[in-house]
Amino acid sequence: MAEVVFANVDKVFPNGVQAVFDLSLEAHDGEFLVLVGPSGCGKTTALRMVAGLEEITDGELSIGGRVVNDLTPKERDVAMVFQNYALYPHMSVAENIAFGLRLRKESKDLIAERVEWAGRLLDLTPYLNRRPKELSGGQRQRVAMGRAIVRHPQAFLMDEPLSNLDAKLRVQMRADISKLQREIGTTTIYVTHDQVEAMTMGDRVAVMSEGRLQQVDAPQRLYDNPANLFVAGFIGTPPMNLLEARTASDNGNVSVTLAEQRLALSEETLARYPGVRRAEGRSVVVGLRSDDLHTAAARPDLPTMTARLELLEALGSQSVAYFRVDARAIRTEHPVDEEADAESADAEGVTATRPNLAVSMPAADAVGLRIGSDVELGVDVAKAHVFDADSGAPLR
Amino acid sequence: MTTVEQAEYGATNALAQRRRRRRHRRGADWWRHVVGIVMAIFVLFPLAYILSAAFNGEPTLVSARLIPEHITLDNFRQILSTHPPDPNAPKADYLRWYANSIIIPGSAAILSVLLGSLAAYAFSRFRFKGRRIGMLGLLLIQMFPQFLALVAIYVILLETGDVFHFLGLNTRTALILVYLGGAMGVNTWLLKGFFDTIPAELDESARVDGATPSQVFWGIVIPLATPVLAVVALISYIFTLNEFVIASAILQTSDHQTLAVGLQGYIADKYAQSWGSFAAGVVLAAIPPTLLFLALQRFIVEGLTSGSVKG
Repeated sequence: MAEVVFANVDKVFPNGVQAVFDLSLEAHDGEFLVLVGPSGCGKTTALRMVAGLEEITDGELSIGGRVVNDLTPKERDVAMVFQNYALYPHMSVAENIAFGLRLRKESKDLIAERVEWAGRLLDLTPYLNRRPKELSGGQRQRVAMGRAIVRHPQAFLMDEPLSNLDAKLRVQMRADISKLQREIGTTTIYVTHDQVEAMTMGDRVAVMSEGRLQQVDAPQRLYDNPANLFVAGFIGTPPMNLLEARTASDNGNVSVTLAEQRLALSEETLARYPGVRRAEGRSVVVGLRSDDLHTAAARPDLPTMTARLELLEALGSQSVAYFRVDARAIRTEHPVDEEADAESADAEGVTATRPNLAVSMPAADAVGLRIGSDVELGVDVAKAHVFDADSGAPLR
Repeated sequence: MTTVEQAEYGATNALAQRRRRRRHRRGADWWRHVVGIVMAIFVLFPLAYILSAAFNGEPTLVSARLIPEHITLDNFRQILSTHPPDPNAPKADYLRWYANSIIIPGSAAILSVLLGSLAAYAFSRFRFKGRRIGMLGLLLIQMFPQFLALVAIYVILLETGDVFHFLGLNTRTALILVYLGGAMGVNTWLLKGFFDTIPAELDESARVDGATPSQVFWGIVIPLATPVLAVVALISYIFTLNEFVIASAILQTSDHQTLAVGLQGYIADKYAQSWGSFAAGVVLAAIPPTLLFLALQRFIVEGLTSGSVKG
């Protein structure tokens, strides 16, 4: 068991594309570190560099204090679980699990004992003599896990291991993998594009975008204190509402003008985002979690704004209401698409009417809301986030 | 195939069957039988003819009937026995040719599978300078029939024979080597196409598990590629078994010749053609490829189709 440390690691592919920029990151000994980001953000490349499947262009990578830049995958002693499981189709489950041990010329007794142990741990004992193609997706997934754990490697590397499973099984395996990792205590780097997986499984979560590390922290702190617009928009379901606004100050009372409606910022917000005072008259981005917005009827104590209801999704105990306000929404996940959207919006006027404000509320509050009507919303200003519109940095 | 796909496949299959049955009632598919029968006659006639000639006592083809008047094994005795029924016929080394025709095509097939798969593995998995050029070069060179190079091959073997006796003219090793070079292109392309369908994640997984490149090759890629290996081996075997031009130029003395070259001797002499011996020799020569085909049949059906569609 060991820590995995990236020190200023770059990755440039032979075709000139740079996938990872100056990555510095540490997975502590025994930690479950999740790398999360949209597709193409460099997270899988980073993982493959740890495994030794991609060369490191620049910087230093060490596992357990040993620099491994030039070591073969074999010498690095890590185990990897692939997205498509990559089970050897011509071998039985037991042979698949034993493959790594056999290559290391372990004794027959030890191999048999370890395979038996892994089979028991992963509920695979009845299937040990079957071929992978005779197994279900979840069972194959567990075989892939078994192949990783039997070797007692320095670290587990997992590349979107749950993305081929159906939603229900994914939730179950999520819990199973977390539990297994805690029991075995091996350092784990887990790559996913699903921020729910990241939040629920990781001891810490590293958010990446366009080859750069955006923020690394415990899930809750990532949610509460996003380091930039990208993290704010990426973490959380539904995503944080990010709307362009202007700041104004009047006798020391700072307010933002959002969709031509004025919201006074509370002292709490200003204490967390003191930079807002300096940004007077400038364009900013206000971030509001869907949980921090309520119907004015449910929370009469909060300052209000008006928005038009466009869509209502009932989730049982909760409802998510999608409103439209007259402010530009910032989408961080697909900046390119957003530009294209804006263009087509000018042309056709379609996306201009797309809802840009999501509100989660108890189902009871949603009763009586009518699609197309204007609704008074209470804004929990104390929990608002404020970012610089140009740099995307929080105005701290 | 998932269950849904299977269900769909079953449904379309049933539909096709129903359509077929309807057409059958109208008698619209009589022409298929005609085509089938014509094809069968076309294929079986030479076979019947050669069998007839092999068991026929008459020495000539012209006067013989398709069903011989008296069946005899004299033709087989003539080529196999040390005391042949007709002592005046030209002396022949049929058994030696037979052995040569197992050794030469057999080794050529095994070695060309080995060489071809090593090359194909490199082309399929490694990214190196000259990879594209190499692939294209192989294909281009393959475009020229090998016997265009016959003169060059002849001269090369003539010269190397002075230094390495076992690689000179009139040696079996030289011929095997020439065949190996000639078959590289097609085999490599065929095998590379198949290797490309084996997911690279399997290699990567094995490497992380601690396998060296050669362990990946022997332990993962080769076992998964057995169908196509069988196909390539069979194709090489049949080709080298039938090959005549190069073999006749390189193998000069009777005891080194293959069946294709040797048997031709029976019918080459304008005034002493022994078609009976030739036919008997050909019938016996068909046994090894038939056995090989039967043994590999299971893989061949799989191998010829599995490269084409992924999954």
